[in-house]
Amino acid sequence: MFGNLVSMRLLAPAVVLGAVALFLFLASAFVRRRETGRWLFPGAALIGLAAALVTLLETVRLQYLPDGYNCLLGGCTAFLGMLAYDPLAVFFQALVMLAAVAAVVLTVGSPAVPQARRGEYFGLILAMTVGMCLLVSANHLLMLYVALEAVSLCSYLLTGFDAKARSAEAGLKYALYGGVASAVMLFGLSWWYGLFGSLNLQSLHFCMLGSPALSPGESGAAVVALLFILAGFGFKIAAVPFHQWCPDAYEGAPTPIAALLSVAPKLSGFAVLLRFAFNLLFDPRDPETLAYAPAQLEWALWAIAALSALSMTIGNLAAIPQNNLKRLLAYSSIAHAGYLLMGVVGGSQGGIAAVSLYGAVYLVMNLGAFAVVAAVERATGSEDLLAFHGLAKRSPLLAVCMAVFLLALTGLPPTAGFVGKVYLFASLLKGGGSLPVILAVVGIVNTVISLYFYARVLRAMFLLPPEPGLPERIAPDGAGLLAAALAVLTLALGVFFGPLAMLAEWSAGFVR
Amino acid sequence: MTSVGLHHFVLLSAVLFSLGIACAIARRNAVAILVGIELMLNAAALNLAAFSRFGALRAEGQLFVLFVIVLAAAEAVVGLALILAIHRRLRSVDVHRADSLKG
Amino acid sequence: MGFELAMVLGFFVVSGLALWALLFVGRFLRLRAPRPEKLTTYECGELPVGPAWFNFNNRFYLVALVFVALDVGVAAAIPLVVILREAAAGSGGWLVFLLLFGFLLLLAVALAYVWKKGDLRWLRDLPAPECAPVDTGRPEPKP
Repeated sequence: MFGNLVSMRLLAPAVVLGAVALFLFLASAFVRRRETGRWLFPGAALIGLAAALVTLLETVRLQYLPDGYNCLLGGCTAFLGMLAYDPLAVFFQALVMLAAVAAVVLTVGSPAVPQARRGEYFGLILAMTVGMCLLVSANHLLMLYVALEAVSLCSYLLTGFDAKARSAEAGLKYALYGGVASAVMLFGLSWWYGLFGSLNLQSLHFCMLGSPALSPGESGAAVVALLFILAGFGFKIAAVPFHQWCPDAYEGAPTPIAALLSVAPKLSGFAVLLRFAFNLLFDPRDPETLAYAPAQLEWALWAIAALSALSMTIGNLAAIPQNNLKRLLAYSSIAHAGYLLMGVVGGSQGGIAAVSLYGAVYLVMNLGAFAVVAAVERATGSEDLLAFHGLAKRSPLLAVCMAVFLLALTGLPPTAGFVGKVYLFASLLKGGGSLPVILAVVGIVNTVISLYFYARVLRAMFLLPPEPGLPERIAPDGAGLLAAALAVLTLALGVFFGPLAMLAEWSAGFVR
Repeated sequence: MTSVGLHHFVLLSAVLFSLGIACAIARRNAVAILVGIELMLNAAALNLAAFSRFGALRAEGQLFVLFVIVLAAAEAVVGLALILAIHRRLRSVDVHRADSLKG
Repeated sequence: MGFELAMVLGFFVVSGLALWALLFVGRFLRLRAPRPEKLTTYECGELPVGPAWFNFNNRFYLVALVFVALDVGVAAAIPLVVILREAAAGSGGWLVFLLLFGFLLLLAVALAYVWKKGDLRWLRDLPAPECAPVDTGRPEPKP
């Protein structure tokens, strides 16, 4: 456990991001000339993100030095136990920063955000990234709540950033749903504090099982508190009973923000959920047997499994009739929250590695799909399925990229999505017992359902004639190039998945 | 007659929370929903303060209360800013009129 | 146990007495000027216009939002102030002071942003709606 001064070095990436965010806010107020802002704002944001990534790698390097902090081998806590610095945190911080880079790149040529407000816009993206960095390494329920709120507040504002009326509407809906969810979670946290007197994540397991016999009423209250806390996580990752905000928010938000929201907060939510679930369900005194979810806590595992099955099924079924690509991808992202939850249910080191791996793959393919939507939206002014009719003739590059992403999202073989799904199912089935088998069957059935609505988009792009009145050709631009790069990455990771799998294994290293 | 104890605070906070969630679900005015959310947050803050007063660990809960107050204010500011934005466009803060996103 | 509540009861009684005493003393001290304007809402002849329940000008909301954000932000400094008192006795006082100063600097940055953006100016044009109001297919409610 590190004191405050040493911890500052480990916090460096977040500090860098925060400083650049502040600079952007001030610059947006003081820079008058629009031409200066055009290159200054995205440039500063990209430099800030790059600097943060470098400092993040530097903290990793620092820890492998002979007299380094040696955190990444066992995981350690900084700021007197408030933040955890371990491979899981580093891995997901890097993912979140990369997602923010993609959002900045997608915004540069996008018509969505008014040029005059881009300074605050990029500043908010960086502020949200700071929140997500803190969230993935939160090791204390207070820190967790504060970081969650920081991420949420920035995402409400970014969702409502567009000048269109539906953007403000989406932001308001998101803020009201989110406010209720975070208040429910906080009420659960307050009860948890009252029952067990501790907010540290490391003490979760002992609180639930080791505390001196709770009365029946008190243990009932503990169960309710835990369910309330899970509701907060469910909102952040958009799992099913808490998903209603998701399609509206994505449809109303500027497309780059929809892309960012569909990956970054979701993945950071998953990182902290992994930390939470693992600390709760796993007994650290018993490292040999790796007993995941002892009998008294099996109901919690069933609750997470129920969330997973519901998210997959309802997400996929609701996606079928959608005609707006952003809405369709929103429901698909709800379904993917369900797939990722399978890894949490699988538990143990393998489950965490599978969630990390699939998280990284999901980041690549989902950002790619949104990049194609952004490119088409810029050319045609619409993200409706009609705008995708005959895309193969108008822009073969975009159509092929989109096909790769959709196949990957379905989980078909030559792509990275297939590898991710294999790892998830394998980690789920390794445990044995009836629950994993049931969940795996639900997952496979859902993969088949999802093929149907992804194939609808493929049919529109390749088989249907172009709608009259739309531009004949779509010239490749920044978003198109990003999509192409991500498509290559999706295919490459589908074949050479070794390095990424190793990184994912490493990220699960905080479990021992 | 009994003195005021932990149970009274917890009961009060449970009532506050229920009122807040009822307000957030039933009202159509966006500002009223925000008020409901604030009630829920304050119920949790009351819980934390009461538990830290009557429990063993004092500082942690009180610290949490301060953070809750700050975050509740931040959330109210963000919520109201979005309500202002939507009011400028729809001339209404009735959430049932904000129905252009569906499906 | 009962004693604590007796204190509360005593407090009520004393406060009631004090209120009554103030009004009673004031009766002898104040001027008497029985004019019809005294009976209006503001007691000075300014007539109220319209009902009290109407939509306030947006400017009030903007200033209120800025006030709330900065005002409550200061509350986050309270734990630091508590530590500052303890740390001042030891050696770490300067560090805590610097932290506190840095925090206030952040709030000052926020204030500078709002100031420069012109959100503190009262007399200014509020931005017009950036797009036409959405046609919801329903009649506008009468103001």
